[in-house]
Amino acid sequence: MNSSILLSITTFGYFLCALLYLSGVVFRFRPLLLSGTFAGLIVLVIQTAGILLRWQESYQLGYGHAPLSNLYESLVFAAWAIMIIYLVLEARSKQRALGVFPSLFAFLAMAYASFSNQIDSKIQPLVPALKSNWLIAHVIACFLGYAAFAISAGISILYLVRKAQPTNPNPKGFMAIFPEAKQLDEFNYQMILFGFLWLSLGIITGSVWANSAWGTYWSWDPKETWSLITWFIYASVLHARAMQGWRGNRVAWLSLLGFGCVLFTYFGVNFLLSGLHSYASN
Amino acid sequence: MAQKAGIWQIIHEKLASLKLSVFIFLTLAVCSLIGTLLPQGIAEEEMQKHYGPGWAWWINTLGLGDLYHTNWFRFLLILLCLNLIICTLERLPKTLKLLQRRDERNAPEKLLKFGHHRQLSTRLPWDETKDRLTRTISVDFAPPSQLEEPGVFAAVAEKGRWSRLMVYVIHLSILVILLGALMGSILGFKGTMNITEGESSGEVELYGRHEHVNLPFQVRCDDFEAAFYDTGAPKEYRSDLTIVDKGREVLKQTIRVNDPMTYEGITFYQSSYGSTLKDAEVEFQNTDTNQVHKLTLPFRTAVAIPGTKDRVELVQYEQDLSRFGPAVAIMLMKEGKQEPSGSWILVKMPEFHGNKIDNYKIKVTKAQPTQYTGLQVKRDPGVWVVWFGFTAMMVGIGLTFYTSHRKLWIWASPEKTSNKVIIAGRASKNSIAFEQEFDRLCDRLQDQLKPESRKAK
Repeated sequence: MNSSILLSITTFGYFLCALLYLSGVVFRFRPLLLSGTFAGLIVLVIQTAGILLRWQESYQLGYGHAPLSNLYESLVFAAWAIMIIYLVLEARSKQRALGVFPSLFAFLAMAYASFSNQIDSKIQPLVPALKSNWLIAHVIACFLGYAAFAISAGISILYLVRKAQPTNPNPKGFMAIFPEAKQLDEFNYQMILFGFLWLSLGIITGSVWANSAWGTYWSWDPKETWSLITWFIYASVLHARAMQGWRGNRVAWLSLLGFGCVLFTYFGVNFLLSGLHSYASN
Repeated sequence: MAQKAGIWQIIHEKLASLKLSVFIFLTLAVCSLIGTLLPQGIAEEEMQKHYGPGWAWWINTLGLGDLYHTNWFRFLLILLCLNLIICTLERLPKTLKLLQRRDERNAPEKLLKFGHHRQLSTRLPWDETKDRLTRTISVDFAPPSQLEEPGVFAAVAEKGRWSRLMVYVIHLSILVILLGALMGSILGFKGTMNITEGESSGEVELYGRHEHVNLPFQVRCDDFEAAFYDTGAPKEYRSDLTIVDKGREVLKQTIRVNDPMTYEGITFYQSSYGSTLKDAEVEFQNTDTNQVHKLTLPFRTAVAIPGTKDRVELVQYEQDLSRFGPAVAIMLMKEGKQEPSGSWILVKMPEFHGNKIDNYKIKVTKAQPTQYTGLQVKRDPGVWVVWFGFTAMMVGIGLTFYTSHRKLWIWASPEKTSNKVIIAGRASKNSIAFEQEFDRLCDRLQDQLKPESRKAK
């Protein structure tokens, strides 16, 4: 048994999980949603074991670092973070239909990590710039934030679709399985708050780390700048909610824009712009 | 005069508006975005080659090639600060006033209109009812303070009042961070220094300017070491440094990437390395006279060839020149010639036909390269202010999002058969969580106000 087998199982597991949630919504059959939740929980346990095993394997190779050091490992962690945050949200909100997008995002992250030939899944040694205790804090904080924003983007899509429907949809209709628009807006807000907290912590830990590695806590490196752009967008979401006439649709669109920035910070900067964070691209 | 006041009022209103905040956030986002798409800090000629003269003119005029340091970008940041300060001045007094108003009384009809309210009744004696209400709410929520209201029992209890102030902590923290950055840029400096193994230096080249700073002490590099993994990937860069202050060795420390050294507020970071020559022993054979001169050439210092007015200088060293191994570049300034001539001389291939300049055949007999370490040097007295701002920001964000100011109104009146109790509550935010807390509290009150629970106690 090694970590790559466990992580392969995870990829297919999230595929199954997303399929269960999706068919539960399409056929409006709640037991399918419940089995989606169970599948998600079981796969999350397998994935956790896979990540821990990979950590141990890196020690056996003599490198000894947390599995958070390159694009492959960060994608695996992103999928893990999305699912754990989502399952907590589901347990608290009792709204299983929300699982469609998070499980899909988790599957896509794992599939991209596993099947793309641009991504090397081998355990690599750490370059000197990454040898720091800040690595774990920085990556975990950033990806908890990104994961919360991914879930919020999913809820925003549901919100926009739901809002376009009449207030009291046909009880046998497609949308009836989702919570009301007002509730979706509230869940969206909760996820953005959570994501904003972690994104801020991610930027701050990155900044403190940069100060000890490169001697400057802010150098307008593309990755830094894009995380700040993301921060500005979500800061405007938080303030816009307090403005008249900005609740609802506009907040949902801004949240989607924010998630677009997250994706660009994560992938776009690596592949399109060059900078100090280049080790994240392979 | 009146008109002038009007203008100031409009400006003040605009600066205090939330719309402006959102506008500044989005504008800063768009400007930062442009800065990541255009290369920053490159020369004007390169910009012209890349974008053509028309675009280059615009880029240059708007300062887009160094966007984050332009005055208009700074203006946006100043606008953000003004917006923050004026919003705070506008809203903080109102918040403080709201927090001071503790004995806010509400008529029972009004309480029944609250989003969270519950009506209870109890057959307990009147004194016991008041007593239990006070006790339960003290234990499960916060000690209620009774309001003077004849004939009835009216009280207010509240929790988390300071939560309303946390948003000001976040806003203040942004000002603190920007202040720290400003202190760093005015009072500090940032630059690099290259020190050859075994040598010392006190001269720091500043970034972006052709200036240098002389440190009040010397830094000596005792050793530099680069280690690699089996895969060829770099594993560690390490320099052993010694600080020599007024001739005395005061500090010896090993620095690595991620592990810098600080002395008298100046921090040294491992940032690069390379190799250079201190000197080389070179033989010059004059092909006209067949005379051979053996010279020791120090790096970048011209030396005369004995018996002539020709001068030679070792100007460059390359560890592996086009895969021909180590090579030195030598420049010859011949007597009576305007232009110097020069060539790369291969160290490991003395018979190479190109090892000559003019009438001199050249052979390098000894060229021992030494390594130098590239240090980043920084003095930033504002960094602690920035750290303080970061901490305040995290505390502020955490507490603003996850705590709220919750207030409870209790109203009870004695009736003939059973006493009437009304509980109403309000939270500054996170009303879903408060609803659960409120329901739990009311359930417990209902339980406590049952006459049977008296016996159980």
